Amino acid sequence: MSILTKMLKKKQVQRKNDNFRQKLDHSIPGELLIHKDYQENISRIKGELGNSADLGIRELKIGPYQGALLFIDGLVDGKGINEFILETLMDKKVPIEEFDLFQFVLDQTVALGSVSTITNWNELFDKLLSGCSIILLNGCNKAISGETRGGETRSIAEPTQQLSIRGPKDAFTETLRTNTALIRRRIKSPNLWIESMKIGRVTQTDIAIMYVKGIADEEIVNEVKQRLNRIDIDAILDSGYVEQLIEEQTFTSFPTTYHTERPDVVSSQLLEGRIAIVADGSPFVLTVPAVFVQFFQAPDDYYSRFDLSTSVRMLRILAFFIALIGPSLYIAATTFHQEMIPTTLAIAIAAQRENVPFPAFVEALIMEVTFEILREAGLRLPRAVGQAVSIVGALVIGQAAVQASIVSPVMVIVVSITAIANFSTPVFAMAISARLLRFALMALAALVGFFGIMLGLIVMAIHLCSLRSFGVPYMSPVAPFSGENQQDVFIRYPIWALKYRPRHIARGNIVRTGENQKPAPPKHGNSHESDDTKGN
Amino acid sequence: MEKAKISAKQLFVLVVLFEMGSAILVGFPLNLKQDAWVAVLLGMAMGVGLFFVYYRLFLYFPDLPLTSYLEKIIGKWPGRIMAYFYILYFAYLAARVLRDFGELLTSTIYTHTPLFFLMSLMIITNAYAIQKGFEVIARVGELFFVVVYLMAIGGFFLIIFSGLIHLENLKPVLESDWIQILKTTFKGTLTFPFGEMVVFTMLLPYLNQAKKAKLVCISGMILSGINFTIATIINITTLGIDLFMRSPYPLLSTISRIQLFNFIERLDVLFMIYLMIAGFIKVAIFYYAAVAGTASLFQFKDYRTISLPIGILILLTALMIASNYTEHIREGLDIVPIYLHWPLQIIVPCLLLVIAFFRNRRKQSKEAAS
Repeated sequence: MSILTKMLKKKQVQRKNDNFRQKLDHSIPGELLIHKDYQENISRIKGELGNSADLGIRELKIGPYQGALLFIDGLVDGKGINEFILETLMDKKVPIEEFDLFQFVLDQTVALGSVSTITNWNELFDKLLSGCSIILLNGCNKAISGETRGGETRSIAEPTQQLSIRGPKDAFTETLRTNTALIRRRIKSPNLWIESMKIGRVTQTDIAIMYVKGIADEEIVNEVKQRLNRIDIDAILDSGYVEQLIEEQTFTSFPTTYHTERPDVVSSQLLEGRIAIVADGSPFVLTVPAVFVQFFQAPDDYYSRFDLSTSVRMLRILAFFIALIGPSLYIAATTFHQEMIPTTLAIAIAAQRENVPFPAFVEALIMEVTFEILREAGLRLPRAVGQAVSIVGALVIGQAAVQASIVSPVMVIVVSITAIANFSTPVFAMAISARLLRFALMALAALVGFFGIMLGLIVMAIHLCSLRSFGVPYMSPVAPFSGENQQDVFIRYPIWALKYRPRHIARGNIVRTGENQKPAPPKHGNSHESDDTKGN
Repeated sequence: MEKAKISAKQLFVLVVLFEMGSAILVGFPLNLKQDAWVAVLLGMAMGVGLFFVYYRLFLYFPDLPLTSYLEKIIGKWPGRIMAYFYILYFAYLAARVLRDFGELLTSTIYTHTPLFFLMSLMIITNAYAIQKGFEVIARVGELFFVVVYLMAIGGFFLIIFSGLIHLENLKPVLESDWIQILKTTFKGTLTFPFGEMVVFTMLLPYLNQAKKAKLVCISGMILSGINFTIATIINITTLGIDLFMRSPYPLLSTISRIQLFNFIERLDVLFMIYLMIAGFIKVAIFYYAAVAGTASLFQFKDYRTISLPIGILILLTALMIASNYTEHIREGLDIVPIYLHWPLQIIVPCLLLVIAFFRNRRKQSKEAAS
């Protein structure tokens, strides 16, 4: 008893300590005002930052007056500071008559696009640490911040995950502003609204919410904001953090937010009424609400003609099902339903499996797990080693395992088809979900054959139907079915027939196209007639 | 009552899948030989008539399920006792359907797997669906409806192309006399499957457009009735009367006869898939009705707390109702219709309607007087 109480007490003390430490973490300078003496201010900043090496301080004189320029080295654009702050400040002739120094510097000397006045410490550190330059003046209890963000960032490159044959080749980078600009460049409408906020106690990461006013559902926009505001965490290092903190249900293998590195995809989704969440430092932009069918739409679908893209999309859905139930079908057919297989093939399979000591389930499990390991290793390996490993993998999986009678050749075929089919899902998050569920279905198939697979699929359907993404049913517009939203689900209608935005997501401005957009040859065009007359 | 709303389309899908659920497996009126299809059509017509009774009751109490308005019509305690019987009835029917499918699986494919194991897997799936709520069940139905229908149409054409249909098997038409046909209709096809629409008295309040209830349910019944008739005719014409009467699962025998290009054959498994979906929906609806009824009768705040216990009850009932398949089927086709279906599907609702009618008129005249 006493031990228990002791332990409880210890825990309470610990919790108290934790809370205290938490408060310490929060002890930023607060709403304190800036001091008049600039030297004192500098020493305070130095103190707060622990004399960090990357803090740059340049003391300067404007006529008789003293001041200092502060910036974080590496975050700022050095050239900009030299040209637009230092040069202008130093060259300026100070008027002889009485004047307001602060207003003078602010209005006449700092030649930057964006300048603001700072009065408290919170703001000062915020600006300083996000790459602005701070000008402190002796005798003023205010500071000037100038927008000089710069430094080294990755330039815009081609997408590495979501490739397309045709269509734009730019991808997002790690810089928030570049990313929003990439989208803004595509939608030049004043209705594209960007709202920003900072999340992360320590990291203070910039997050931007983008949506097209008038198309996006206001309720969902508010819901997104609310969920983002609710986040209280020390760090946001990638949009993946945000995704996991705002999704509706954690215990599901299906992604309920969409992420992409392609600005064209984000733009098209914004125009469908979705909301984009851009996190600084992440080249993946989230869009919500996400529905199941969306994960089978690839950007190429819209850039090529509709008949081709429709058939390719069907193929993708088929591939998803192969990736999901391929091995379990093999297990079910070989252990329970041999009569399903044509006789000659059944005999061939039986002959091959004669040498294999394991039941079909174990055989499939060995191969699948081996393949998953190979794939996972392939992701992490340095490029130079990767090729060697893939050769080893191919040899081990393809030949040695069969020759050693660990698995049968048919199993190798099944695993390969499954693996390749899995790669045809355009979004990795959905593909990995199929990968995971495959193992559950394999176990069910080993237990009760097709009955098990079917039950597994029914449970999956129940689960999918119960999911929601920001209030929108995950399986819409299939279940609940809405006929008018079927334009872009299984069949991608021709672009001119994609007349409406998806009604289950967009709220306003539903009609996308004008009347009579169907292209047709001109009715008795003049050119033809002139051709005729020429012929005569 | 759960705060769920389903659309007219979803209700339609549920009605069709429900009606075709186990009827297509064991519901053929075999004793009529080649005239079985007449009884199916007659049963459908009468079933639609019977549905009007349920529909009128629904119109009197558009927001309440059957178990709740029973109290309002025949008084508090008699109503509650009656509601209790209805809950038992729904749970019992869920168990019957579950047993139907369990028996099908054990007697065809899984001859070595215990019945209990197969049925418990199925009831777990159902319990999961019940946990997720009625809206989700409706959506799942919608999702699978297309699959089921495409398979049915595919199977239909495959049978035709295989050249299995011999229409002369239908002759002589109306060999059995009308009395016999009517008798079979009243005992068989009217009550099972069409009279089972009584369970929808529990579900109609969830419909978001009450006006469409009549149209949707009746068109659903007619569509499933026509499908059922077609299935009967196909069975008779393919198998011949003799096999049709002897086969435990006529449709399964028909489907396994399909043979095309020496490649498309042994399609029984596809039939199983179809039945699993339809059976799942049918069990889910009965199960849900039992759970929702219990929750409202005993005033549970959350019906989810009792879904699993009732599921276990259904599972055990399904195990205990009969010692073997023959007994199960004989009970289902000879005893249950007379002692359960007739009173609870036809007599009680009709009486309720009459009482409700007079009560309502009295109320109206009182209002008019005052």
